[in-house]
Amino acid sequence: MIPDISSILFSGAIGLLVIGVGGLLLSNNAYRVLLALVIAEAGANLMLVIAGYRWDAIAPILTGDFTPQPMVDPVPQAMVLTAIVIGVGVQALALTLIIRVKKAYGTLNMVEIKKRMEMDFDRLSQEANQPGKLEDNS
Amino acid sequence: MKHYIILTVILPLLVAFLLPTIGRFSYFLARALPPIILIFSIVITACVYNNETAPFALHIGDFVAPQGIVFHVDSISLLMALSVQVFALFLWPRRSFKLQSEQIVSNKRYSLMLLLVASANGLAFSGDLFNLYVFYELLAVATFGLISFDTNEANQARFAAAFRYLVISATGSVMALLGIALVYFLTGTLNFAHLATQQANLFNPIGLSAFALLLVGFGVKAELFPVNSWVPEVYSAASKKLSGYLAGVISKLAVLVIIKALLFIFPHSEAAYLMLGLGLAGLLIGELSAMRSNDFTRMISWSSVAQLGLVFIAFSIPGQAGIIAGLAVLFHHMFVKTALFLIAEKWGGRISDLHGQGYLNLIMSGIFIFVALSLIGLPPLPGFWSKFLLLNGLAGQEYYFAIAIILITTVIEVNYLFRVANHLFSREDKPVLPINNHHWFDTLTASLIVVALIVAVWELPTINDQLIIMSDQLLDIESYVNRVLISTENGL
Amino acid sequence: MNALDLLLLTSLGTVLFSVVFSASLTGRMLLTMLYAVQTVILFQIDAGTEMVSSFGFEIFNHALGLSFNGLSWFFALITLGSAFFAAWYGLNQQQKLLHVGLSANVFSMLVLLSAGDFLSLFIAWELVSWSGVLLMVLGKQESLVATLKYITYAIAGGMAVFAGIILIYSWTGSLAFNAVTENPLSLSQYGTLAILLIGGFSVKMALLPFHLWQAEAYALTSGPASVFLGAISARMGLFAIVITMMHVVDLKTLDSIFLIPELFTFRDFLIWVAALSIILPTYTALRQNDARLLLAWHGIGQGGYMMLGLLMYDQMGSAGGLLHVFNYASCQAILFMSVFSILHRTGTTNLNQLGGLVARMPLSFLAMLVGIIGLAGLPPMNGFVSKWLVYRSLLSDGMAIVFLASVIGTLGTILSVYKLMHNSFLGQLRVEHEHVKEAPWSMTVPMMLLAIIIFITGVMPGISLELVANAQSAIGLTPVDYHLGGVVSANSAISGDLDMIWVVLVLFSGFGIAAILFLSAGKSRRVHQLDNYAGGHFLNANNQYQYSDNFYAGLMHIIKPWYRYSFKWFEGAVVSFVNLAAVFSRSFFNQAHMLIWMLVVVTTVMAVAII
Repeated sequence: MIPDISSILFSGAIGLLVIGVGGLLLSNNAYRVLLALVIAEAGANLMLVIAGYRWDAIAPILTGDFTPQPMVDPVPQAMVLTAIVIGVGVQALALTLIIRVKKAYGTLNMVEIKKRMEMDFDRLSQEANQPGKLEDNS
Repeated sequence: MKHYIILTVILPLLVAFLLPTIGRFSYFLARALPPIILIFSIVITACVYNNETAPFALHIGDFVAPQGIVFHVDSISLLMALSVQVFALFLWPRRSFKLQSEQIVSNKRYSLMLLLVASANGLAFSGDLFNLYVFYELLAVATFGLISFDTNEANQARFAAAFRYLVISATGSVMALLGIALVYFLTGTLNFAHLATQQANLFNPIGLSAFALLLVGFGVKAELFPVNSWVPEVYSAASKKLSGYLAGVISKLAVLVIIKALLFIFPHSEAAYLMLGLGLAGLLIGELSAMRSNDFTRMISWSSVAQLGLVFIAFSIPGQAGIIAGLAVLFHHMFVKTALFLIAEKWGGRISDLHGQGYLNLIMSGIFIFVALSLIGLPPLPGFWSKFLLLNGLAGQEYYFAIAIILITTVIEVNYLFRVANHLFSREDKPVLPINNHHWFDTLTASLIVVALIVAVWELPTINDQLIIMSDQLLDIESYVNRVLISTENGL
Repeated sequence: MNALDLLLLTSLGTVLFSVVFSASLTGRMLLTMLYAVQTVILFQIDAGTEMVSSFGFEIFNHALGLSFNGLSWFFALITLGSAFFAAWYGLNQQQKLLHVGLSANVFSMLVLLSAGDFLSLFIAWELVSWSGVLLMVLGKQESLVATLKYITYAIAGGMAVFAGIILIYSWTGSLAFNAVTENPLSLSQYGTLAILLIGGFSVKMALLPFHLWQAEAYALTSGPASVFLGAISARMGLFAIVITMMHVVDLKTLDSIFLIPELFTFRDFLIWVAALSIILPTYTALRQNDARLLLAWHGIGQGGYMMLGLLMYDQMGSAGGLLHVFNYASCQAILFMSVFSILHRTGTTNLNQLGGLVARMPLSFLAMLVGIIGLAGLPPMNGFVSKWLVYRSLLSDGMAIVFLASVIGTLGTILSVYKLMHNSFLGQLRVEHEHVKEAPWSMTVPMMLLAIIIFITGVMPGISLELVANAQSAIGLTPVDYHLGGVVSANSAISGDLDMIWVVLVLFSGFGIAAILFLSAGKSRRVHQLDNYAGGHFLNANNQYQYSDNFYAGLMHIIKPWYRYSFKWFEGAVVSFVNLAAVFSRSFFNQAHMLIWMLVVVTTVMAVAII
């Protein structure tokens, strides 16, 4: 009747991934893309935790009176912590970039951003090879 | 002595974090310290390269593998680390302003560059999949930051380019993390040596999917098709020296990561076919798009996509022939692409605006023609020999279709490269002023690259022997496993 | 250190010398002398035997070696001779790149001729292709456009050759010349190699359909460069094809690869390609209005004769083909020299704007006359001998239709070169050219020397036939039975010996009789060239009464419907296809959501893997 806990978690992880990636593909607003990315990363992290999980085991913490019992694999949990932190860092960076993009182009529409970016590239390309210009922006 | 190799990762990392603080007290120190650190770690790397003839494993913290992190040092990782550092030194961002605020920006650029170098070194040495992932993310974050730093205020496109790159890269990382999860599912370990012993658990469709996810995830940096749409945007937006560094050196590191995954996780023909197919697609799309470009930087960005496709094709050939061919193409492209981006520093805009410029700067146009000829594969330049090895390997596998495509795209390549040369040496009577006061150091670096290529022609037998040694070490998985999984007498 | 080493070293030294010293006139004179020195060294090498150089490299376990045999000797003589005359002709040209390019070309060609295995053949081939670029960029903007086209074609051909060599290595495990002869392959493998190698090499030789690049590339550059390129550069392709036929796919194998079963073999296909290469470009030459382009198109056509000769089983055929390389080099060189001396003095080579220069530039006219007679294949010049040999072998091989085709080609040759001569030298002098002088001595003396060479090798073809016989034995064919005056047919039953000495004697006695009659007829009065009358009316020199524009109007009217520019269309189609593919690949990346492709790849892989 009630589905097995492992399959719930599995489908949860996959579902988060699907929602995340789907959101990435279908969103037109840069901020929504970022949110979708957050969700997808959550899904991937969950997947990693499940990879090391044992369904009949206890948490991997040694208490005072230790009787040998099956324990959940702590390694993926440590890895997931790292991955979450990395994810948070990248998301923060993405937010700052979104702010700068909004300041530069005034819009957060992905299609519009691409169009403006290409226009900027064309303009820069035309200006780059103008003779006599002294430029040193290495 | 050989433990000191770990310093090449730790020192730049440490200084990168301390640099903004140091910069507040002494700007001079902030400028001088990074190159000094780089030179120091180059010396360390060179010493280890000279002294140690056999590969060795560093068990960090004296923890036994596979529980602990392992650094595996062999000739190719040393050579990659050396290239990363040497090129970083030559392509170091230069100061070019007078304002106080720009100094702060510049400090950040230096610390981000050091971060880039540290993470690249870590990528070269790391022997554990998750460690690789962490360094990879560090590399990506440093790249995002560096792309956004450009003193040309008119270039507002860099934020958009960095953001779009971030989206693709982060999605790739999600895929890679998923792949790592699948690998852990199947084997319970992420240490490469341990994975090599778990082949029975990995040779199934889930293992192939894991490899595909890792391929696509790490392949973002390696400009793999189809995740390479960021390439022309980012390389046009960032400063050309940074683009040269990314295209030339960093992408090669990403390729090596994928090769490690191929050799240790899924060394079977399905993975090779996948890489071959994606490599061919990248090659075709790269060369064709380069032909249509009328901007010099775009053109060489697409060209680097195509050449990296070539590298993937090379590595998809099984056995030693493939590894040698792949390494040859890889190292050759490292030099050539960096030189091209240094030229783009001067001539990076619209190609049709370049009419007659070649006569005004014969050194740069000479370098361009030399590098273009090596890229095409004019014998006896190194590009020819790498192509020869590649095509031989392909013929040995009877991949005749791939040979035909590679040769046809070479014809396309020669056409667009020498179309640029035609513009450079055009004789239509228009008054010509020189473009862009180019810094002498960049011309020096480009000339040094040309000299290196010429020396390579002379030293072909030595290089060939080195390649054989490197490929032997890569393919010798048994010794790798023994080195890493036995007890930690040579740990830190 | 034997003579071959000395030759190669001297050639390399010439390159370095030209880089440093070609700016001054003395330097250029010394440079010309150096080519003569190289020729002297060449004569030290015995053409009858094979000489191995002591230079060698070892790469990836292959030994690359250099060696000379009779065939290489033959081509080397032509190369050095062309370089010598071109350098002499170009003594007054100050463009440094010209002289550096010339010496670089000579050096790379010598290396090509002495290639001892397939890898060094390919390396030298690429070097020759790229040194040709140095000579082609010397004109105005139009020469740069033509050079880019050349580069694209040359690299395409080079890549085909590269593929062939890789296949040889993969199928036989060795890159030595005896790789394929020691390890026989299957017929389809021979066919693939034949297509790749012969096709690739024939791009340089400008056989149909790869000929569209050659005319502009060779013609639009500066004078001495055109002379050299036109004379020998394309024939390097022929040398390479001979090497291919010696070591990879010989004539018998070619004749056993059936393209249409029982009817049409690969050899027949090549014969028809050669025959069409004779006809079509020669008639294109008729339509040109620029003298240089006319000559260059005309030159493309002559390559077909050489190929035809080589494809015959008869020893006279191959002798004719090889001899034609020599004869063609001398004739084309002298023709280009003559045309460029007109350009030098009048500033134009537009055939609709020249005329009547015969009295102003008599030596150039004489040179052009000799060259024209030579290339048209009339006695007493050397072109007659080689063409005669080719026709002879076509007939004895029973290929009547091909013979007819080549005769039609000769007709086109005669017509096109007559247009050249008529429009530039004959007819009415233009007012603006009244004070044109003869070309300077540095230009006329080499022309006259070449004319003498053409005449002597025409009267006594045994001289050049000896070299050809050496080349033939080096290839492994029976050498033609020659003597000083000509050849002796191997099969006397069919008869047909050739003795030029008798032919010339008869011819000149005819001329002699005519000369006696002419001289005994009394004095003629010399008038000024612009002083003309017609029908009692004085002709104003400013009006053009010369029929030069649209010269072969009647013939063109007949041929025009046949000219559908098919080859240009085909070339355009290939270019458009590539452009379309490029547009498609660019638009592929213009989608807003590239990530979908990443997903597609991953899901496809997972689906395929699981299924």
